[in-house]
Amino acid sequence: MAGSTAELDKQASWDGQSSPMRASYGKLFMWFFLVSDALTFSGFLCAYGFFRHNFAGEWPDPQAVFHHFPFLHGVHLPLMYVGLMTFILIMSSVTMVLAVEAGHRNYRKGVLIWMFLTIIGGLMFVGSQAWEWYNFIKGSDEGAILYKQEMYLYKVDHATHKPIMDILVLHGTELSKEQSAAVIAQGEKFQGANLQHNEYGHIAFADFFFFITGFHGFHVFSGVIINLCIFLMALNGYMQRVGHYEMVEKVGLYWHFVDLVWVFVFTFFYLL
Amino acid sequence: MAHHDEAAGKKIRRTLWNVFWLLLGVTIFEVIVGLYASGWGLSKTILKVTFISLTIVKAAYIVMVFMHLKDESKWTKWVILTPYTFFILYLFFMMTVVEGNYALEHRLNGPGKTEHVEATHSAGEHH
Repeated sequence: MAGSTAELDKQASWDGQSSPMRASYGKLFMWFFLVSDALTFSGFLCAYGFFRHNFAGEWPDPQAVFHHFPFLHGVHLPLMYVGLMTFILIMSSVTMVLAVEAGHRNYRKGVLIWMFLTIIGGLMFVGSQAWEWYNFIKGSDEGAILYKQEMYLYKVDHATHKPIMDILVLHGTELSKEQSAAVIAQGEKFQGANLQHNEYGHIAFADFFFFITGFHGFHVFSGVIINLCIFLMALNGYMQRVGHYEMVEKVGLYWHFVDLVWVFVFTFFYLL
Repeated sequence: MAHHDEAAGKKIRRTLWNVFWLLLGVTIFEVIVGLYASGWGLSKTILKVTFISLTIVKAAYIVMVFMHLKDESKWTKWVILTPYTFFILYLFFMMTVVEGNYALEHRLNGPGKTEHVEATHSAGEHH
């Protein structure tokens, strides 16, 4: 144990005199990478906020878009599913930090158990996100009307959350019943969302959704792969041979960062 | 982050679980407010400030406790937090003041007026 601490101190001093950071090269550069990655995500979220503010009149209410829950088709349950996803990710963050803590005690079995649970949590989250994408792409039962490359939305009754099937809305402006009937007769039904069309409102909402949650989901997916590699290395006894579990700590930093980003995505995309 | 023994580990684990319950509690609170706040007659600004503040509280706990930043040296903390803070303030300034003002001006004057200015400008070049 004393030997391993000396080994870490040697790393922490890099190749020169002692470092004021008192952190190893690898860990410090994981932090720098995370700072730059955090700025990328901040840029995305700022751009999202800007677009949302700019197109406030035709921006969809997230609670009217994401209100599905598995096995409960047609029940209006906003925030429940995304709340569950947040719970899964926070839970996997705890298992990760417990793996790091076990690593600090050089307790291999603890590291393996907690790392394994973290990987399971990550896979559950990626799976949940896939289901969320599936529902968003598939769309609602009623859909909207696509006519001359413009998306006409059904007006939504605020009390029941059900669409009113004879009043359409274009760019946030309500149409008369006669105009609506003409558009419904000539246009075609469009359900769901892709990068060109979005039945829920402004197209930028769909673009940002796919881009930000996709980028975050890819981070989670990468994290699961890296976690798996570290798990296999620990299983192999590699960390025991090296004498410390700092690799678990470094991958832990990345994993907590993924959780951190989700906390912000949850607030800006779903709550506000 | 140094190595520690079983006794210290027990204490650390208790702290970690406490932070977990705190994060979970704040998230549940946010979900409840998000679901029912529309009926409480609170202003949008109050809700926005509440949600963003709670998010920053959650983020601080994740970074300080889960990512162990509170246990790092003073220099490490500064080197990580200062550049990020400055860049984020700059980004926010650019978005709200510079881009926001441009978008607002464009909307007040209307796209028609902008086109009119461009049209007279190009007409002037021809003569």
